[in-house]
Amino acid sequence: MNFAATMSWGRAFELVPHEATTSHPSDDPIERRAIEAVKNGDAGSYEYLVSKYMKRVVSIAWGIVRNAADAEDLAQEAFVRAFQTIDRFKSGEPFGPWVFRIVTNLSLDVMKHRTRFRHEEIGEDEPAARRDRADLPAMSGELARRIDDAIQSLPEMQRIVARLYLVEQFEHSEIAAMTGLSAGTVRSHLSLARGKLREKLADLYE
Amino acid sequence: MNDDRFLERLRDDAPRLRYQPDDVLLTRLTARVRERVASQPTVESFLARWFRPLAASLVALALAATVGVQWYERAQQQSTTLEAAMSADPIEVSVDGNTYTLSH
Repeated sequence: MNFAATMSWGRAFELVPHEATTSHPSDDPIERRAIEAVKNGDAGSYEYLVSKYMKRVVSIAWGIVRNAADAEDLAQEAFVRAFQTIDRFKSGEPFGPWVFRIVTNLSLDVMKHRTRFRHEEIGEDEPAARRDRADLPAMSGELARRIDDAIQSLPEMQRIVARLYLVEQFEHSEIAAMTGLSAGTVRSHLSLARGKLREKLADLYE
Repeated sequence: MNDDRFLERLRDDAPRLRYQPDDVLLTRLTARVRERVASQPTVESFLARWFRPLAASLVALALAATVGVQWYERAQQQSTTLEAAMSADPIEVSVDGNTYTLSH
């Protein structure tokens, strides 16, 4: 079977599950074959990976930068970088965590840049969380709004770690790999975040 | 409720905060990635981009060297010809009845 022909950009949409998790590629033989095909120079096979992980990658980026336009650019950039460095990608490893790590690092860079120029970008009376809430279609109901507010009120790294753990459902070790923090630091951020979240959401979770 | 149970329940509720890009956006992003991936330089074009200016510089250097060598050789040849002419045809100068010969 000519794999490249079946994995054309146009057809890939028919093959992919819409939302990807961090499944191991052994769970998805098409993913494994797509990676090998891309490594062998078949750029067309990359669409399978893009389609499979794009939704999750955009969500991760948005959770960190809280801006739809930036999240889209970051997701795009993450996939291009992953493609450019595909030779360094170890065959047999899951592709998801790799591209999640790339997009997390890119998003953290954006946050560092924003912190540097915070006074120019964000007014005192207009927190970024509220300004960008319009980007969040799933934000319906009081519970979601309260949780979002509580997470957004956390200090930056606690907020990012809490969001990756609570919203994106990553495990400690996965968050450590994505952010470059040690597992202990991730646990520490999460523990501090948990205390503050519990305080803020006490009336909802008692 | 202890802290762990609280976090567990919060984790059950929080996934609804996940950003959900619509299909139009996903298609647009996928198309953009496709475009950028397709325009990635191949090894040949990458090498050509680096080697073309290098090759042009080397050709220019080689040309300059050739012209330089030619010019030097021609200058050497002219000098030799003059010396040879002087040796073959000495100049005689007479002063007060004495004849002096100038030769190389």
